[in-house]
Amino acid sequence: MPVTTASPAAAIALHGLAHTYPGADGPLPALAPTDLEVREGEFVSLVGPSGCGKTTLLRAVAGLLEPSGGEVALLGATPRAVQRARQVGLVAQEPGLLPWRTVEQNVRLPLEVTGAEGDVGAMLRQVGIAGFERYRPAELSGGMRQRVALARALVHRPRVLLMDEPFGALDELSREAMRLELLRIWEAERITVLFVTHAVREAVLLSDRVVVMSPRPGRIVHDLRIELPRPRSEAMEDSPAFIEAVRRVRSALRADELAEVRGDEQASAG
Amino acid sequence: MRRLVLLVAPPLAFGALLLFGWDLWVRLRDIQPYILPAPSEVGAAFLDEPGRYLGALVESLVTALAGLVLASTVAFGLAVLMAHSRVLERAIYPPALLVKVTPIVAVYPLLLIWFGFGTSPRVAVAALITFFPMLVNAVVGLRQVDPAALDVLRVLNASRAQVFWKLRLPSSLPYVFAALRISVPLSLIGAVVAEFLAGAGGMGQLILIANGEFDTDVLFAAVFVLAAAGIGITAVLSYVEARVLRWMTSAERQQMGA
Repeated sequence: MPVTTASPAAAIALHGLAHTYPGADGPLPALAPTDLEVREGEFVSLVGPSGCGKTTLLRAVAGLLEPSGGEVALLGATPRAVQRARQVGLVAQEPGLLPWRTVEQNVRLPLEVTGAEGDVGAMLRQVGIAGFERYRPAELSGGMRQRVALARALVHRPRVLLMDEPFGALDELSREAMRLELLRIWEAERITVLFVTHAVREAVLLSDRVVVMSPRPGRIVHDLRIELPRPRSEAMEDSPAFIEAVRRVRSALRADELAEVRGDEQASAG
Repeated sequence: MRRLVLLVAPPLAFGALLLFGWDLWVRLRDIQPYILPAPSEVGAAFLDEPGRYLGALVESLVTALAGLVLASTVAFGLAVLMAHSRVLERAIYPPALLVKVTPIVAVYPLLLIWFGFGTSPRVAVAALITFFPMLVNAVVGLRQVDPAALDVLRVLNASRAQVFWKLRLPSSLPYVFAALRISVPLSLIGAVVAEFLAGAGGMGQLILIANGEFDTDVLFAAVFVLAAAGIGITAVLSYVEARVLRWMTSAERQQMGA
């Protein structure tokens, strides 16, 4: 099925997307009906505490989860159609590399599966792991593994990159390095990215927009545009505009926490 | 070299000590050879006609291997079906369990009726006894895939066949080898038991005849030959496993009980 771009502006469009998990103690609402649009070439982060439905939202966009309500339009088609058109790349917190394959073979996997053309060597250079082609995942550090996962997600030139806390399991130094690496790659490629994280500074540095979510059930409470110039750099983290943006996201998160605490107090008082 | 000596020397020394104690015991107590022959007599019995033992061993090993290959192939095939369908798993598991819990000796007369008195019923025993470990381990191994890797393949719209060849099959190999570590020695036991029951073929027959004639030294020699064969095939299997699974870290291998 061809992926049309009937509305070229919206790479991702969610209309009333909602999901409820069938829990052991009754249904578990994970995501309240949610609308969201991400333009083609936009970098959007979802931030929020755990349980705010951000992973659920991302998995629905990836077509890995059938939502219980609402619609997902990805590149103007359904997520399944986009999967069939092989236009999505995915990086999760766990790298999910195949341990019996070398780095080079792992990055080649999407090309084998899709039959697409791609330059594995160039991809490895781009994520900074040239020279490690013959290594196996067990011989690499966590940061290196996540670089391989990123190369694998990009090698077939997808139009949408979905990232679910990709640096969540890394130590602070690797995290910093990966963040800048991703920034550099994205600013060169400008593909659409939906990026789930709970690191506020990371979200602000990378994103055009930061979408703040709140739990029980998950919903979007703020949608903040980050007006920092591109290309961005590490040095920008000290600029007043950056600090201001971080403050805005933090206060959006905190306002929501306070509202919830107040709600709890009312509930226990009543 | 030093490490090799340290590795091999203690068991060898202890083994020699046991043999020496055995020999001493037999001489001092003047025990009849038909009850307990001296180690030297056991060795002599083997060296007398080594071809007899090795020929019987090869026959038993062929039977064991035939049963093992047959059972493992069928079990893995069924495991592939079961790993893909909970319904099939529920359907196949109870009869498979029945095969496991039924004493093989009780089934043997049936096998004789069905397969005649040739090698087939013996192969069937080796197969029945090795079937279950492979089935259970393979199902677990085929299911136990890295969910993150599975997500990546699903997002790429990989077909079921692609997921099987690229992810499930390689993921199951550690479990397949875990099954083989159990079923390879079992297959030899199965073959010898079947030969023993049939009174025909391989080491089972050799043992049965030696028993009837009170050739206790031959009995002992047969037992030692079987033990040596067991050690040998286990070593070969470990070597193959280490080669095939060299991508696993030693910690992961220990977790699998290797």
